[in-house]
Amino acid sequence: MSYPRIAVLFGIAISIIIFAISTALYSKSSFSDQNSSKLNSFGGHTPGYPTLQTTGDVLDPTSLIINPKTAVVDPMKYLREFNYGKLSASSNGTVIRDFTMIASDQQTKEVSPGVFYNVWMFNGTIPGPTLRATEGDTIRITLINNGSKFHSIHFHGIHPSEMDGVFEGIAPGGKFTYQFTAEPFGVFPYHCHMQPLEEHITHGLYGALIIDPKKPRASADEMIMLMNGYDTDFDTENNFYTVNGIPYYYMHHPIQIDKNRLIRIYLLNMLEFDPLNNFHLHANMFNFYKTGTKLIPDEYTDIVTMNQAERGILEFSYKYPGKYMFHAHKTEFAEKGWTGLFLVKEGTNQSINENLNVTSIRNITNYSTTVTNYSTTDFNETTDLVPIGGVN
Amino acid sequence: MEIEEGSNTSNTHRISKRTIIFGVIPFIVIGAMIVLLLNSSGILFQSSIKPLPEISIEKVEFSDNNMIVAFVRNTGPSEITIAQADVNDRIYPAAVEPGRTLTRLADAKVIIPFVWNTGEPYEIGITTDDGTRFDKLVNSAAAAPRPTVGQASTFALIGIYVGVIPVMMGLVWYPFIRRLSPNKYNFFLSLTAGLLVFLGIDALLESNEIAVDNLAPAFNAQILIIMVAIVTLITLLYVSQRLIQRASKRSKPDIDIEYKTGYSSHSEPDLGTRDMKSSSASFQRQLLIRPIAISMMISIGIGLHNFGEGLAIGAAVLLGEVALSSFLILGFTLHNTTEGLAIVAPMAKSRRIPVAKLMIMGLIAGGPTIIGAWIGGFLYSPIATVIFLSIGAGAIFQVVYSIGSWMYHTNGSRGLLNNHWIIIGFAFGMLIMYLTGLLV
Repeated sequence: MSYPRIAVLFGIAISIIIFAISTALYSKSSFSDQNSSKLNSFGGHTPGYPTLQTTGDVLDPTSLIINPKTAVVDPMKYLREFNYGKLSASSNGTVIRDFTMIASDQQTKEVSPGVFYNVWMFNGTIPGPTLRATEGDTIRITLINNGSKFHSIHFHGIHPSEMDGVFEGIAPGGKFTYQFTAEPFGVFPYHCHMQPLEEHITHGLYGALIIDPKKPRASADEMIMLMNGYDTDFDTENNFYTVNGIPYYYMHHPIQIDKNRLIRIYLLNMLEFDPLNNFHLHANMFNFYKTGTKLIPDEYTDIVTMNQAERGILEFSYKYPGKYMFHAHKTEFAEKGWTGLFLVKEGTNQSINENLNVTSIRNITNYSTTVTNYSTTDFNETTDLVPIGGVN
Repeated sequence: MEIEEGSNTSNTHRISKRTIIFGVIPFIVIGAMIVLLLNSSGILFQSSIKPLPEISIEKVEFSDNNMIVAFVRNTGPSEITIAQADVNDRIYPAAVEPGRTLTRLADAKVIIPFVWNTGEPYEIGITTDDGTRFDKLVNSAAAAPRPTVGQASTFALIGIYVGVIPVMMGLVWYPFIRRLSPNKYNFFLSLTAGLLVFLGIDALLESNEIAVDNLAPAFNAQILIIMVAIVTLITLLYVSQRLIQRASKRSKPDIDIEYKTGYSSHSEPDLGTRDMKSSSASFQRQLLIRPIAISMMISIGIGLHNFGEGLAIGAAVLLGEVALSSFLILGFTLHNTTEGLAIVAPMAKSRRIPVAKLMIMGLIAGGPTIIGAWIGGFLYSPIATVIFLSIGAGAIFQVVYSIGSWMYHTNGSRGLLNNHWIIIGFAFGMLIMYLTGLLV
């Protein structure tokens, strides 16, 4: 018998296969160069939750800052950016505002730290640019379709049928100019109206149009807030909820406002799948102008609830400096990204740190005063007050 | 091949170098193909569609210091990156060790600081970088057992109650079974076989359940169950044959007291003519040795089974799937008492067995429950549980085969299915297990 020889043959064969597989896999795989000696901290945002150290990676959209190069939008830039268009005058003296919008649908961008999603965008961001005009102006918007599918822009407001962006799609590579008179004054969403409608909207083709009354509203620190969500796993339920495109962004980048300064927020709800969304402001009340079409407030409240595509204007000012949350009072949305912070400052040149010390607010917040990070160090000094760090 | 035959006669016994070369060539081609396909960076079969990611959350541990730890494995076809973690579909800060990027089949630990409540259900979710979310529901959160002396002794106690005591209780039936007439003895033997068949099927179903619930399809765990059970069965059949052969060679033909008083005197002539491989004398010897060998094999088989059962019990405690209660333990105890009966039944008609030997068999059968509970409770691994349950199943079917062939040989010309006592016993055995199983 020659078992040894058979064994040799078998051994050679097995080693050839193992060698081949390992060679191929080795040359293919990119070994991640993780530095195991480096410790990262995580947790500790909420009372009772320890701050822990890990040798691994931190997964935390509430404190990790999204890479600006791959992020779907810069929420800080979007917040106060209003596009008034390229101005010209018609023969009869009417102001003409020209806007260019480019639709795209083939890019993958970061919608939450570490989460990449095929986004469809106007001008490369979700939400699309905020267009702004004054009542009576002529608005001309040229849509260039750089995507692979038909797209359109459907504006809410008053305009002729052929400018409604519903029955005429713009083919890939095509171009069309929508023209209409800005009326009435108010806050209006715009979005793609191609079929399947839900798909075109949930992928991100929407934004805001603000039409100012002829007599301007009172001077204020104005900002746009558009509430949306992302269904990244296509189960018709949102995985993320945001205001202005990135979950939790204003938690690590609080919106700085001045004490006693009038704040005006143009608020829109572009959330899909969930029937209702809302906005709740902490430690304050606001005047609410439903749809922004009147100059007299409809309500004095601290919460406003909106159905899809509903919108309005909020006006308020903060009496005391410090950090204040704003978020959806539907806590599910709040705990999946729709949460932010205002940082109210005494004056433009004063440090928030001093104010916090003066007013002892330090003791009732668990957020450290640096805008990018939080710590629980302040808790330990607290004896009589329960620190509040949740969303209520 | 024709050419080689021309050389010399040794070729018929030895494999020449040329044979080796011809044997190896296909493997070299396969090797070259593997290198080409995996190294070409997808030039040959490039797909623009990214393969769908897949993550298995294999276990979720709740710890006393407000932490939830999810053990995840990349069971998809390609490398994945974990982006975030959630509890009950609400995003929470977390950490992933060793790192967020997992190569195929690599595993990681996701640590989520979370103030959880005992007894409440929690769904742990993991989202990959493409936004796909994977989740696992834990029905009732319970603090993961920590390997302390106290916890270890709790598990040991469970093991003793569930494994050792019932088997020992069953062994107490030994004197009773010794005194039975051949027919009633046959009844108890087939009852044993019925019990064991039930246990074996139960083990297969349970391992299947674990495989479906806790293991990713990538592991092909269901095939693994059958594979392991079959390999165990044939291996143990081989081992027991060798043991019996060796023992019968060494044994002397003077230990035949029980045999003569037993039932088989009338059937002896039959056996001599029927048996295909043994002479009448050596078969007589086998009859004396085989009962003890069978009982030992049953002990080992039940021991393997109880090890798997211990793993499952420990794991169930760890995973918060069961709340341990006295009632549950009592159920297991009644259920397992029949296992002791299974051990003593084959030996009842051989010579008197020393109590110490019975005790050893009881420990072999029951003791592994303790070790299983420790391993299952402290180092839960679904794949290990599945494999050990399958080994247990294979071992049990080997025992059933041994009992069957033993009864076949000792039952003479009547055959197995001609004896109503055997049929009733077998059915009754399974029924007992089913009824006591309702308590668990």
